[in-house]
Amino acid sequence: MSMVVVGVIGGAASIAGGIFGSSAAKKREEAARKERKRLQNKLNTLEANRQEIINPYEGITNLSELATNLSSQMSNPFANLSVATGAAEMKIEEADLALANTLDTIRATGGGAGGATALAQAALKSKKGVAASIEMQEKQNEDKRAAGEQQLQDKRLAEEKRMQGIAMSEGQRMQQADVAGKQFVFGQTENRQMQELDRTAAMLGASRQAEAQAGMDKTSAITGMLGSISGIAGAMAGGA
Amino acid sequence: MENKNLFQNLYLKQFNESNAIAYSQGFVSSSSNYNFQLLDNAYRNAGKTYAKLKIAIETNNCMSEDCALELTGIKNLEESPQASLDFLSLLISQLSVTEESNFDPNNNYKYTVANGLMKARPGFSKTDGYQAYLDLLPDGSQQISFMGPAFTKTMPDPYDPRFSIQVEDPLVVNNSSLRALIGSDTSLVVSTPDINKDMLRLLTEIGLFAQDMIGENGELRANAKITEEYVMMNTDGSFDYEIIDLGNGKGRNVLKYDLEKIEKKVTPFINAEVAGLMSSEQDVIAAWNVYISKDTSVEEDDQMAQNANAGDASWIYELDLPLQQDKKVLFEIKYKEYFMKNYLKQFTTNQLPTVKEDAAVFDLAEAKKAKAQKFLDDNDLN
Repeated sequence: MSMVVVGVIGGAASIAGGIFGSSAAKKREEAARKERKRLQNKLNTLEANRQEIINPYEGITNLSELATNLSSQMSNPFANLSVATGAAEMKIEEADLALANTLDTIRATGGGAGGATALAQAALKSKKGVAASIEMQEKQNEDKRAAGEQQLQDKRLAEEKRMQGIAMSEGQRMQQADVAGKQFVFGQTENRQMQELDRTAAMLGASRQAEAQAGMDKTSAITGMLGSISGIAGAMAGGA
Repeated sequence: MENKNLFQNLYLKQFNESNAIAYSQGFVSSSSNYNFQLLDNAYRNAGKTYAKLKIAIETNNCMSEDCALELTGIKNLEESPQASLDFLSLLISQLSVTEESNFDPNNNYKYTVANGLMKARPGFSKTDGYQAYLDLLPDGSQQISFMGPAFTKTMPDPYDPRFSIQVEDPLVVNNSSLRALIGSDTSLVVSTPDINKDMLRLLTEIGLFAQDMIGENGELRANAKITEEYVMMNTDGSFDYEIIDLGNGKGRNVLKYDLEKIEKKVTPFINAEVAGLMSSEQDVIAAWNVYISKDTSVEEDDQMAQNANAGDASWIYELDLPLQQDKKVLFEIKYKEYFMKNYLKQFTTNQLPTVKEDAAVFDLAEAKKAKAQKFLDDNDLN
């Protein structure tokens, strides 16, 4: 520090030396602070404007729609079974015809009323038999209808279960694909972020260190001036 | 508009670098007085003032109620020596920016003069008409004033407006203002970012070069090449070369690069770099004025006596801050151009093939014939 420069500042030579030493440290400190701010801004921008990472599973669609629920097309083949009444009716007609013929014969032969009554009872019995036959047939049909309905319900249930199975397995596949896609995106982003973060963090760390070092240099330069400061303070006290 | 700062700063820079003062007989033969004695003068009466305040308090003769003013005065005086040292060192740290090689001459030239005065440079002595004062102000703050031939301004003559006169216009800096300024990451005199260093570093960050192309100093090695991912290829996987004419009927293959792909790759990194710079808009103006606006090459800059400056295209700190959006966009565009043209281009032009056989010098006529034959073969035109 030349005496000429000391003359500019005034006071002891150590004051001028300390001021210039401290100013250099201050300049370094400011430069390091600016650098830190610049790096921080740069890092923020890199993070905010990262290029889009594509999700390779993005195009996957739910295929469960392709499975058709066929249960609506199922029907109970026994639902509309008709009772075969034709033969019974014929049997009744035959009975009625036989009864009429018999009555004619009784009349022609001059038969009594007792014979006619017996005949009528026989006819009634025959008709009752016919009715019982129809009833039995109807019952059989009803049983078949119920069995058919049971089978239909079972098949419908089975189809519903199949559909549910497809939907669930497809949904599961979709979810797994989604998860895998997300994992891929996360992994890529993480890798890139880590690279950028590591690099810029290292630079940030260096600039912080430079700033801290400059701060220490400044403190050290100022400490060197303290003796001179006390000289000034002493001058004040002397004035008192 | 005449840019006074630009002319004055360039003149002062040239004056300092030319050593012309050594040939000034007037300067050599006379003494120069640099005894501005800033601290001595500032504290000349401080002792007496301190004593008066002390006595007033101790004898209960204070002017203010409860001696509030006197106590504040005592406190300010006790703190002032340290504050003076801090102030002067902070001021010198700011003014010394004017000595940097890439200093933007559009900064206020008065700071360049003040630096010359603080560093006792030839031409800025008391003998040359300069003066500097450090004042302790009643509010506890301090100010430094620079006066002299360079600290004037032109005013219309009050007696005859047809003429103009030079009036004193001291440069005054207050310590509390300066502290606040620095505290908000703003410089009194802006230090121009080292764009050359930034761009050399940026080259290693844009992802075009493999890690082994980067040296221990963090810069690209001399033999660095862009990775083959960005080299144009033929459909058969061979390199798609460009033939350059060496003269005398000889030619040579050079690699062709997918410039569109390269641009797409580097743009986000350049944008981030610019965003980093934008954290200080005064830095952006300095970079614009010294480097970016003219997009001159580094080689050209090196050949010049001083860094290129924007001249008439300069952005003016006093007028252009805060930066308008159009200027920010323009800066980003030109920054990218500057990088592509002056730093990246050398890696995308005249790059010899990596395949040894393809790198040999060959006869141009034969190469043309072979190329024509290949076209006929490929298209089944024989």
